[in-house]
Amino acid sequence: MSHHLFLLSPSDTPLYSLTHQSLKPAQTVTSPLAANLPTWSTSAFAGTLTALSGASSATQPSTGSGPTRVGGGQDRHVIQMIANASLDAIEDVMRKDSAMYLKAVDKFNDWTVSAFVTPGNMKFLLLHESKNDEGIRTFFMDVWELYVKTLANPFHSAHTPIRSAVFDARVRASAKKYL
Amino acid sequence: MSYAQPHPRQSILSNSSYSSAEHLSPTASSTRFSLPAAPSIHSTLASTPRPASNRVVPNIYDRNLSKARAAEVSASAYAFLFSEIVQYTQKRVSGINDFERRLNTIGYRVGSRVLEILFWRNESTSKAPKREIRLLPVLLMIQTQVWKAVFGKPADGLEKSSSNVDEYMVIDNEPLFERHISVPKDFSQLSCSSFTAGIVEAFLDGLNFPARVTAHHTPNAQFPSKVTILIKLEKSVLERDELQK
Repeated sequence: MSHHLFLLSPSDTPLYSLTHQSLKPAQTVTSPLAANLPTWSTSAFAGTLTALSGASSATQPSTGSGPTRVGGGQDRHVIQMIANASLDAIEDVMRKDSAMYLKAVDKFNDWTVSAFVTPGNMKFLLLHESKNDEGIRTFFMDVWELYVKTLANPFHSAHTPIRSAVFDARVRASAKKYL
Repeated sequence: MSYAQPHPRQSILSNSSYSSAEHLSPTASSTRFSLPAAPSIHSTLASTPRPASNRVVPNIYDRNLSKARAAEVSASAYAFLFSEIVQYTQKRVSGINDFERRLNTIGYRVGSRVLEILFWRNESTSKAPKREIRLLPVLLMIQTQVWKAVFGKPADGLEKSSSNVDEYMVIDNEPLFERHISVPKDFSQLSCSSFTAGIVEAFLDGLNFPARVTAHHTPNAQFPSKVTILIKLEKSVLERDELQK
């Protein structure tokens, strides 16, 4: 089961992204549609097609472990597309709702998108497959703290990609703990 | 200068790397405004090479963001730093407008950080952290909390312009920045509080209230250095706020 985290600047430029493979077991959902897809679905855009068709996995889902799966919404570009698509929903919600943590703000097939909007209008997006509101909230708070610390560094200019190795390590550690 | 015990230097800010006695003694006073730190650190490192395990590299991620009780900055250091900022800026500008714009830009960088840290301190322990999406609470927050965080006291006033609906004013009777600054006659239009205006602008911008913020010197008999920070909000902000009512 994997999680995908994106940090986006107020102008929606990605500043940091992380793919986290959770150690918790994934529930594999076999979709009959996926099995019936023709062979050309393994071509370059297979991931997009299967994701759009609502299939959860294009290959044999028997192994179930995240990294070996391809297609079925697990492709990088599909993930990015889902994340970007959810921005519209987030912008709608954040206009009316003053909460920073917007849980399950958008859904796309298997994926649920949760978001966290900081006061400075940074957006943290997390794509996840299972429900874990409390864990995700704690995780977002951790990332926020790390982000504020990054911002406080005079050598870091706001809204530029975050390249700090320590930041990366801390976010990973937090993801391991709460996701 | 050498250290008998392992030096408790954890961060670049907490303790200075040389003893304060040296700093305050009259014999050393001649070097106080040149750069005494660099040579003394060098000699420390050369004479007593500390074991690798003992050398703590300052890491911002290890530091606590909450405000410590004793973490106050001396007004002299504050004034000195600000005077350096003004001097630095003055060397690089061609006119008063440019001057104020540059100060505003530097203030903006401060403001965007103040915004996040202030909210973090308020909301990080909350179960459901909130941003601010209404205009008036944001302005009140600027008057009280931002001013307290940056200057140690709330601003003296928050007013709504009577002639223009999109204008608000934050009033500071004795701005800390200008306490030690007297602007020369030929610069009479200049207000160094443009820096403060930049902070306010960043704060509003971050919270999605784009505005143009300027500082104006408005002296009166009682407060000769009184400053008005004028906030001119963009049209979209007022329209949105109207809808939310």
